[in-house]
Amino acid sequence: MQPTQETPPVTTNTLIHDVRNPLNRISMQAEMVKLVLENDMPKEKAIAALDKILIACQDSSAALQKLSEHSRTNNDG
Amino acid sequence: MSQILLVDDDKEFTDVASNIIEFLGHDVEIANCLEEAYNCIEFQRFDHILLDFMLPDGSALHLIDKLNTQDKVPFVTLITGHPSVKSIISGMCGPNVNYLVKPLQREDLELVLSGKTKATKKAKSSAITKHFGCLVGESAPMQELYEMIERVGKTNANVMLMGESGVGKEVVAHAIHTASNTEGPMVATNCGALSRELIGSELFGHEKGSFTGAVGRKIGVFEQAQQGTLFLDEITEMPLEMQPNLLRVLESKRVTRVGAVKDIPVDCRVISATNRTVDDIAQSKVLREDIYFRLAVFPITIPPLRERLADIPLLATAFIEQLNAENDTNFEWKNAQLDQLKSYAWPGNIRELRHAIHRAFIMSDPTGTEVTLPKNFESPFAKNQTSTNQVTAGQTIDDVEKELIRVTLEKVEGNKTLAAEMLGISTKTLYNRLNAWENQAQG
Repeated sequence: MQPTQETPPVTTNTLIHDVRNPLNRISMQAEMVKLVLENDMPKEKAIAALDKILIACQDSSAALQKLSEHSRTNNDG
Repeated sequence: MSQILLVDDDKEFTDVASNIIEFLGHDVEIANCLEEAYNCIEFQRFDHILLDFMLPDGSALHLIDKLNTQDKVPFVTLITGHPSVKSIISGMCGPNVNYLVKPLQREDLELVLSGKTKATKKAKSSAITKHFGCLVGESAPMQELYEMIERVGKTNANVMLMGESGVGKEVVAHAIHTASNTEGPMVATNCGALSRELIGSELFGHEKGSFTGAVGRKIGVFEQAQQGTLFLDEITEMPLEMQPNLLRVLESKRVTRVGAVKDIPVDCRVISATNRTVDDIAQSKVLREDIYFRLAVFPITIPPLRERLADIPLLATAFIEQLNAENDTNFEWKNAQLDQLKSYAWPGNIRELRHAIHRAFIMSDPTGTEVTLPKNFESPFAKNQTSTNQVTAGQTIDDVEKELIRVTLEKVEGNKTLAAEMLGISTKTLYNRLNAWENQAQG
């Protein structure tokens, strides 16, 4: 099946960008947890940030999987 | 407290980052695309904009273009996924733009919002110490320099930096700014690169309609550097007729925009820089005596690289680590290569060393670890030095300078841009010199 013209090409750079974004969220949420702990803020805020870190870890893993598949396809091709 | 605009299409990131920025004591507005950012800047003034480089409806450069038409251009920090964007920024944007590389940390935000610099993340894990976040070297002359920076950083005294071209005067200015407990940014301008007509507007600002072409109000660098540091590079290239205006501002700490009737209080430390020596400044009368004493409350002479050869391995390692970080390579120096680097005089100082290493880096196999150094580092600077060695006692500095410029222009077949680069001065300065001699010859 031919890709439609609207489909943007998936490049390695796009996939690397998709990996960096969840890493950026993890980093900032971790900083949020530190702020909460250092300043005796409500622990619910820290728990919410930690939940988001766990989700972002899954996002990173999925993005790395896509990058790995893309790399394998390109090498085979 | 600053007004911050955070522009990024990742909503989770903007939510958490805005919480952290508010905790740091600033007010934050969020925009998730360029369109929203345009709306924000239309109705509100911001001191600082944190801007994702790629947005769904365009590039960050579109917003920077729009900001440049405003009266007071805010400081912009681009948030990017790749450090290579630095070269794009330095080529396309002014001194009021810097960058941060994802993933961000709270310390990154704290530093950019306070207008201070830090070592790169790679450098943190490096064995190289970056004093004040930017200076490399452990030799005795550098230890003396660090002590002076530490001491003057605690005061608000004006500093004049002297040293040969390429020794890193602007980097030392950044170090002093970092060592100071100032809230404002560091703003830099080059007095040698500004035309006589525009220098007043650049330094002091202008009101709309104050002269032909003044289509809007412009805030001068003195006002931009409020509560911070103003770096005036090539101060001795400032036209003499403009110097009384500068003296007035230094003495009164008040600035009057071109075409304005009211003056405005300004509070910033002025760090000026020149590649002339004190004797040269005094003899050539390029700077009024009263201005010199106002600017050089605390003069600092930065040592040339040949007087601190022991620092070359540290500098070479810092440069190669930076190139590795920017290009995802793993180059390392061998001891024999560091000895080779130490055996050269580097008349163009750290700038020449950095360029030589960059050239070698480009010539090396990026998949390996060995840097391919050239057999010798002979450069036009070295040839200039040979020429200047032929000076004789009794020649005036003007004559020697004239001869150096003549020889350099001859070497590059009259290419003034290349000659200015080799001489370590701006093209404008070179033209000023040539015009002055032509006028002398005619008069």
